[in-house]
Amino acid sequence: MSNHNHQDTASVTTGVNDASEGMSYLDGGIRKLIHVYLPLSIIMVVLIFPFYWMVLTSIKPDAQLINMDKFNPFWVVEPTFKHIQKLLFESEYPRWLWNTMYVSVVATALSLFASVFAAYALVRIRFKGAELVGAMIFLAYLVPPSILFIPLATIIQAYGLFDSPMALILVYPTILIPFSTWLLMGYFKTIPYELEECALIDGATRLQILVKIILPLAVPGLISASIFSLTLCWNEFIYALTFLSSTQNKTVPVAIVSEFVDGDIYRWGSLMAGALVGSLPLVILYSFFVEHYVSAMTGAVKE
Amino acid sequence: MAHNAVGRPQASFQRTERSLMQRLSNDRNWLGAAFMLPAAVILIMFLAYPLGKGVWLSFTDAKIGRDGVFIGLENYEWLSDDKIFWLSVFNTLFYTVIASVIKFLVGLYLALLLNEKLPFKSLIRSIVLIPFVVPTVLSAIAFWWIYDSQFSIISWSLKNMGLITENIDFLGSPDNARLSLIFANIWRGVPFIAITLLAGLQTVSPSLYEAATLDGATRWQNFRFVTFPLLTPIIAVVMTFSVLFTFTDFQLVWAMTRGGPVNATHLMATLGYQRAILAGNLGEGAAISTAMIPFLLFAIMVSWFGLQRRKWQQGGSDE
Amino acid sequence: MTTLNRRNLLKGAGAVGAMSATGLLDFAKAWAQTMKWKPEANATLNVLRWKRFVQAEDDQFMKIVAAFSQATGVKMNISNESFDDMQPKASVAANTGQGPDIAWGLHSLPHLFPEKCLEVGDVADYLGKKYGGWFPAPEATCKAKGKWIAIPTAINGGYINYRISSMKKAGFSTFPDKTDGFLELCKAMKANNTPAGFALGHATGDGNAWIHWLLWSHGSYLVDDKEKIIINSPETVKALEYAKKLTDTFIPGCASWNDSSNNKAFLAGDLHLTANGISIYVGAKADKALNPIAEDMDHAKFPVGPIGKPQELQLTFPMLAFKYTKVPNAAKAFMAFVLEAENYNPWLEAAGGYLTHPLMAYDANPIWTKDPKNAVFKDAARNTLPASGIGPVNEKAAAAIADFVMLDMVANYCTGREDIKGAIAIAERQAKRIYR
Repeated sequence: MSNHNHQDTASVTTGVNDASEGMSYLDGGIRKLIHVYLPLSIIMVVLIFPFYWMVLTSIKPDAQLINMDKFNPFWVVEPTFKHIQKLLFESEYPRWLWNTMYVSVVATALSLFASVFAAYALVRIRFKGAELVGAMIFLAYLVPPSILFIPLATIIQAYGLFDSPMALILVYPTILIPFSTWLLMGYFKTIPYELEECALIDGATRLQILVKIILPLAVPGLISASIFSLTLCWNEFIYALTFLSSTQNKTVPVAIVSEFVDGDIYRWGSLMAGALVGSLPLVILYSFFVEHYVSAMTGAVKE
Repeated sequence: MAHNAVGRPQASFQRTERSLMQRLSNDRNWLGAAFMLPAAVILIMFLAYPLGKGVWLSFTDAKIGRDGVFIGLENYEWLSDDKIFWLSVFNTLFYTVIASVIKFLVGLYLALLLNEKLPFKSLIRSIVLIPFVVPTVLSAIAFWWIYDSQFSIISWSLKNMGLITENIDFLGSPDNARLSLIFANIWRGVPFIAITLLAGLQTVSPSLYEAATLDGATRWQNFRFVTFPLLTPIIAVVMTFSVLFTFTDFQLVWAMTRGGPVNATHLMATLGYQRAILAGNLGEGAAISTAMIPFLLFAIMVSWFGLQRRKWQQGGSDE
Repeated sequence: MTTLNRRNLLKGAGAVGAMSATGLLDFAKAWAQTMKWKPEANATLNVLRWKRFVQAEDDQFMKIVAAFSQATGVKMNISNESFDDMQPKASVAANTGQGPDIAWGLHSLPHLFPEKCLEVGDVADYLGKKYGGWFPAPEATCKAKGKWIAIPTAINGGYINYRISSMKKAGFSTFPDKTDGFLELCKAMKANNTPAGFALGHATGDGNAWIHWLLWSHGSYLVDDKEKIIINSPETVKALEYAKKLTDTFIPGCASWNDSSNNKAFLAGDLHLTANGISIYVGAKADKALNPIAEDMDHAKFPVGPIGKPQELQLTFPMLAFKYTKVPNAAKAFMAFVLEAENYNPWLEAAGGYLTHPLMAYDANPIWTKDPKNAVFKDAARNTLPASGIGPVNEKAAAAIADFVMLDMVANYCTGREDIKGAIAIAERQAKRIYR
């Protein structure tokens, strides 16, 4: 990999020489303001607004929701914690949150385990037909869950997993493995083969190489794969809706919708409070890992 | 890389004593199969079989709670001159293409911005990820409220600024509804693309830019000839997944419009769901989702071979 | 799984008082002595129900459940699922043969999998004889090929909701009972800037209700009693022309409305006439700030169209038991128990007018006279046609409703996407696909 970079730069530098005579650019404050801060703030505002709206709705008294002439909808007077309180103490929310976490974490761990081996085999063992198998994995995304769940339900039932978190733990990897495998394949490719070669000469087995050499170097890949996987599990709806039936087993997105939509009346405050509280664990996780995730990856490639 | 390199270590092992275990662990095919096993078991058990069954259903007249009999291509024949079906095909392509392109452009732009020296770096990055984290159903419900025909905050603001006099009918007219949904999809999808591309950007060594800048490259040239080529592999991966997930999107549309107004926002996934689950015609719903397969295959092929070609172009045929 | 969830029970107990609860239990015990269906030993009954409209109804229902459980020893598990998520769950259950024993959902539910439903003719006959007979539409909705496959427990009536002052301002002292007058009213209301509006989006309840009234009242039906497709008719053309004139008077945005949109707009004072259940009124009565709206609003029957008799589509809530259940007797006993007068009357009252009885004897329930504004909803079961119109009720009719064939036809024309011929042709094509 590193060789290529140098080659590329070489060609770039020669190619570019004539075209750009003295086009040096200043990193001046105003320039940065216009080129970085301004567009960044605009995008950030757009990205954050619906979330802000959810926060606002979750603490707004119901009467202010549809009275836009009297109350400025961008703000809230007399905020109420009624919705959040109702969510946390009068519903089984903590239980749902726990279910969601449990299912997500176990399904993610399972997927990563399977993906690490699969990716390693595809990239480094290069067995006969690896290319084909690699392509086959992505067939996983060919049919959307919105239809797949009916035939899948028959299988879940045949294995006796109905209304059990195990159903989701086993089904979610089908959405997670292909992505994680692909991601990890990319990382494994960036790890110099020389390292592995030396170990092989020293008589290490493939498993030892994978665990002792490859995995530590692939930590950033593992982190990004698990973050992605966790999020997908966290947000999944159809499987969670159809494979789990008892209230105490439900996951957050499903439970919130069935708990706070009464016929033709939406309990906006509680719905949004649920979305908010349900996202918090992930937000915290992300704020902790984002830096790690980005910078660790840099380290891996520099090797 | 792998091909050439593996030869040597194997040769060195040949001199050592060979137990069965060792032989197996050195046989690439056996080892490869063993390593693939966990993934294969899960995927075959929970995916290959239902997928096959789904395709089979599309050739039957199965209803919910009743096994169908084989009817050949009848479901497909009915679909072939079904205006609503073709509308859903159009909608799906429109939705996927527009949303993916914009997601890519905005995501890349955002990644470049985030790659600058910024204060509160990690705070900004976590904020950027928020849309990706909120459960889709619930953010869809929030959007639905934001797009409400009477109580839209957007209409309200524009009205108060004196820019419009009537509320905008976000989800009521076909074009508005399509664009509103695409916007919500972009909102949800950009963060992941941006953060992943940002990770890719950080792998580009600053010395490359320095060298290029010394040689007089402009910002654009820096991007075009240094950044972009190095990012290509990660772009291909991210965009393939983005396209796949956009193409099969369901929750967002279902929560906001159910395919309305007048089927203008029905995607193949939502139409399939409506016909299979709500109307009970499993066979027909299965046919609609089976019809998605060629499109998805095409998307996968494009990026897969795009990826391969790129490697080759860079002189990476030894990989 | 609210296994006699103590919290739920307590919530309800406060409201109605302990006396009726013990009364229920005494009745339950006596009832259990003579019941026709002896529950299986150690039976556990899992019930999947649609998510309530009002808390009081749910509380009262849980009391019935508790009494039944105590008197018969059957363990009860009740789980709630929102309106729209009921169907996929029940479908999975029907398909896999595993899940709840009883599913209690929306009108077409049993017809999606008639062969998977337990035959409950004995329960229906018992109740029908005892309580004055079933109204024809709920009966038709719960029967497949002449056999009862579900018990209609209630009908969710949807009627015209309007603001009295706005109607008067538009020059009408009483609500018009013919479609012509109704159009004039809507026109005048639009002119006064107090517009009407009905949901034209894919709204399972409100949307289907009013467009079926509109088409049927003009004599436009999808299929006849022999399943011949008759949608392409002069009556349909007339109905669509009327629909166009009517929707032109609507508040903007109706095409995107789902079931909850009109509630919001009405309570905010933007919308002055719509088709809905009693939920708007109940909501307005419950909230002090909205009391003026409750006082100024009333309900009216759908106006009669050219064919000269009332034509309505109201949602039935059938309760069905799956064939795979291991406790068919317990399921039947429970269904019968719920509809016994001692249980049903307080429950219907607690539902506050959202629900209407399918058995004629319950016409006397005080809910219909307690508040004159409730009265309209009393006849929901009497006046409605089954969801199939004049055609037979079966899985195809259920599919046509679920696929929004009629709703899309009206919306297609009224939003200007298709001309009359095009809109009808699309609907006809869809009907042929479903009735092939």
